[in-house]
Amino acid sequence: MKALRNPIAVLALASVCSYAFALEPVPWNSPDRAAQFKYFRENASYNANFWAALAPVEQDRELTRAKEPAAERQAAMEKWYAGAMEKWDTARLRGYTASIKEKDLRAVAIWLGREQASALEKKLLLARFMLDKSQTKGLDDKDALKLAPHLTTEAINDLRGISAAAEALDRQKAGLAVKKPGGAASEATLEKISGAIPKTGKQDMSKFFDGSNSRGGVAVDFTAGAQGAASGRPSAAAAKPAAVKQTAAAQIPLPAGSPEAACDNPKSSAFTSNAYGYTITANGQTQTFRDGKKAEAAIRQLPDGSISKIILYGHGSPGMQTVGPEVYDAESTAQLLKGKMAKGGVLQFSGCNTASIGGPTLNPAVGLSMVARRLLYFSLPYFQNRADGVSAEQARQQWDKGWNADLARDTSLGIKGAVVCGYRTFGLVPGRLPGVTRLMGNQEATTPGYVAGRKACYQDGREVAAP
Amino acid sequence: MTDLNYILETILLLAIPFVPVAIGVLLRRKFRPGAEPMTRARKVGRWAGNILLWGGIAGLLFMIVVVLNYKGKI
Repeated sequence: MKALRNPIAVLALASVCSYAFALEPVPWNSPDRAAQFKYFRENASYNANFWAALAPVEQDRELTRAKEPAAERQAAMEKWYAGAMEKWDTARLRGYTASIKEKDLRAVAIWLGREQASALEKKLLLARFMLDKSQTKGLDDKDALKLAPHLTTEAINDLRGISAAAEALDRQKAGLAVKKPGGAASEATLEKISGAIPKTGKQDMSKFFDGSNSRGGVAVDFTAGAQGAASGRPSAAAAKPAAVKQTAAAQIPLPAGSPEAACDNPKSSAFTSNAYGYTITANGQTQTFRDGKKAEAAIRQLPDGSISKIILYGHGSPGMQTVGPEVYDAESTAQLLKGKMAKGGVLQFSGCNTASIGGPTLNPAVGLSMVARRLLYFSLPYFQNRADGVSAEQARQQWDKGWNADLARDTSLGIKGAVVCGYRTFGLVPGRLPGVTRLMGNQEATTPGYVAGRKACYQDGREVAAP
Repeated sequence: MTDLNYILETILLLAIPFVPVAIGVLLRRKFRPGAEPMTRARKVGRWAGNILLWGGIAGLLFMIVVVLNYKGKI
């Protein structure tokens, strides 16, 4: 038996080694492991170069680790997409148009394919365009026909009813005789909607649906409001803005098990940065969070007027800011921080382009940033839409008002008294540079440190000096 | 017509970062040392060329960083 010990040990060692050497490298985007590679792409854990640099054993380990979450994510995305491509009723129209963002379309392109993403994007563009049109010019039979494959009859009738009602309001303002909008059916549906009628299409129709009065309009019950205005009395139905409610089904499912979804993952050893987080200073104490849900829960537990500074660190684009998987626009941020900010407290959006570009400049770097912003957030998506068959007018309307959106100013209108800061330019964080972040070991930093960019701050919608 | 406008705008915007590089190269060639005695004005011209050339190259690198940022690589 003793004589056999050595051969057995050699055999065991050989079998382990042969396993390691027998593994062949898996090419990036290998169709056999499509789901896992989609998972890597969505989470930006690897790209083709970094993947190729991994040893086959490491590749195998990563693929095995990602197998289950990738399968779950694939199923969730398929289910969500099927729901999104069904005909929308009014509530779903409101939810989907308000909640689907550019990154969600990218996720659909990754998991289900470019064609599916393009089909959803076209549907969204059409829905948003018709929402705007219903508010300004009104919808005709041709528009209803175009919407028929995407919306339920009830939703189309609602849209047509709204345009008729808005028209009646305009006539009323012009001192003309009020004609009752639509028939009994359209009036009945209108009564369910409470929100400010935006003036001449300057606000998104989705804001009308959400009941927002962030630009100073007062949310009213339309029919009663119209009657009140006609009699010269203040509208009895004037009300506080309704909370932003989006149907849960409209929001794209979060990538389960991804580094963004789980904050207690081990520290990354990645070459590139995955830094984002919340830094909240309240009552003299500073807390940092990676997990959005925990951060939001912590904010809700704080007493009113207690936050002296809060930094939302992540990626920004005109009109929105992400913090990991969480997405914030002016309304959702104002909703989250309502009443919580101390007088003169500072909300800092640490993300690119979270303020408008501002006036002319002699600084060449700021000028280049403006050029890049116009190219990336107007020209590029415009020509993409045109290539996808969207009309020039529709594509222009979609992107022309969005590329220079000012998230900081819009948010400051919703959080009275607080100073809200954003960046007019792309904000470059040296610590995020590939390689540098690995050297510094700050791939998952929750605060940005030094940011090279032009800051702009607002208080109640007026620009103020940066604190 | 809308498309044509935006195509022209895009071409102009894309060309902007290259303008200082081109002007810098022209100035450096015009005020190359050795051909004529370096007067004060020629020195200033060459310095301006240097600044524009290297500033322009830095601008192009900046644009690349910005695009990488936009693509989520940084």
